[in-house]
Amino acid sequence: MTNREFSESDIHLALDGEMPVEERSAFERWLEIHPDMQARSHRFATDRDRLCETLAGILDESVPPRLSGVPLVPEEGVKGPPRFFWRALAAVAILIVGGLGGFIAGRVHWGVPLSGETVADRAIAAHVLYAAEKRHVVEVGADQKDHLVDWLSKSIGVHLITPDFSGAGFELMGGRLLPSAHRPAAQFMYQNRSGARVSLYVVGDPGSRETSFHLLEEDGARAFYWLDNGRGYAVAGAVSENTLLTLANLAYTQLAFSETK
Amino acid sequence: MDDKKRAILAEIPRLRRYARALLHDREAADDLVQDSLERALSRLDSWRSGGSPQRWLLTIMHNLFIDHKRRMVRHREVRPLSQDVADSIVSPPTQFESVVSREVFEALQAIAPERREALLLVAVEGFTYAEAASVLGIPTGTVMSRIARAREELRASLDDAARRRTIRVVEK
Repeated sequence: MTNREFSESDIHLALDGEMPVEERSAFERWLEIHPDMQARSHRFATDRDRLCETLAGILDESVPPRLSGVPLVPEEGVKGPPRFFWRALAAVAILIVGGLGGFIAGRVHWGVPLSGETVADRAIAAHVLYAAEKRHVVEVGADQKDHLVDWLSKSIGVHLITPDFSGAGFELMGGRLLPSAHRPAAQFMYQNRSGARVSLYVVGDPGSRETSFHLLEEDGARAFYWLDNGRGYAVAGAVSENTLLTLANLAYTQLAFSETK
Repeated sequence: MDDKKRAILAEIPRLRRYARALLHDREAADDLVQDSLERALSRLDSWRSGGSPQRWLLTIMHNLFIDHKRRMVRHREVRPLSQDVADSIVSPPTQFESVVSREVFEALQAIAPERREALLLVAVEGFTYAEAASVLGIPTGTVMSRIARAREELRASLDDAARRRTIRVVEK
């Protein structure tokens, strides 16, 4: 028996088998008189089970030969960047050939997409600057959306649309014109209900090559960026990578569709 | 020597599970496993016989994973889209993952890496806090606070995903 007071952190101790056996029955009684804590405990247990079930299937997969056949004594120690680092980079090429191949067939250019990183860098800088604004986040508001789109399309020489992010909970606030490496750029700002902001940055960039998505992180913000059909795009924000990726996917599909018009 | 190698190879399925939970992307995860195995086999001496091969191997994998993360930040390297996400842009979702399991993987990725590791070691691999602390090289109390936060984040992400799924169903 124990008379100690329990708290929320005990839920984790109990769930993880870290609670001494002699405290368990007192803890169970504590849960019974604290329904909110009981619900919490139940929810965490459910999540853990779901996590384990989802991952369990991996144990049954057949092991790839490259893993089961790892040599007993490697010729050399592992040096330089690990393999999976290079693999991650190589995936770009795979994506261009395999993923987007059908989509941009006949328009693939090989080479190092240097300007994409510049686009992302500018997009992040512009986002960090304007997303923090209270009153002057945008130059033209979403209430004048038609004017905004026309104006920015003319200014940067690219037929623009404002992608619909409402499926992911983000609504258009408006946009502004920006300078970017000797050419104009457009920024559309979006906001969700909890006040998080993301922006879509577009620059007309005739010399550029198509790329797959890349991620750049700096200044506490990140941007997914890609070059497509002579335009550079970046979706920037200080939101989670997943949220940003969802938005980038939405933008990509909607913009790619609009380009064909 | 052969016994040790056999014990290591027997751990591969569990190493793959841990790596996949960390990185989601299948190829990147198997690369991490392969790097870990190669490093392990070149340092067999550092494994004290009698010790758990799993804990030793996961410590190696953790260090490689951290090196990788650090390098990405320091050099501002760009990270491409993982293949499955890339596929989802241009083709229907693959059949490898159900929507529901994809939600779990995505929710995991939304948890900060250091908290993700703590949660996985304890909740999935079944380590005690002390064992997880030794793998991660942090105090036991830190393991506990990371797990608590990881659970909150996982729950929020899964709730979000369920809500989005509901909205989609309603819209149809």
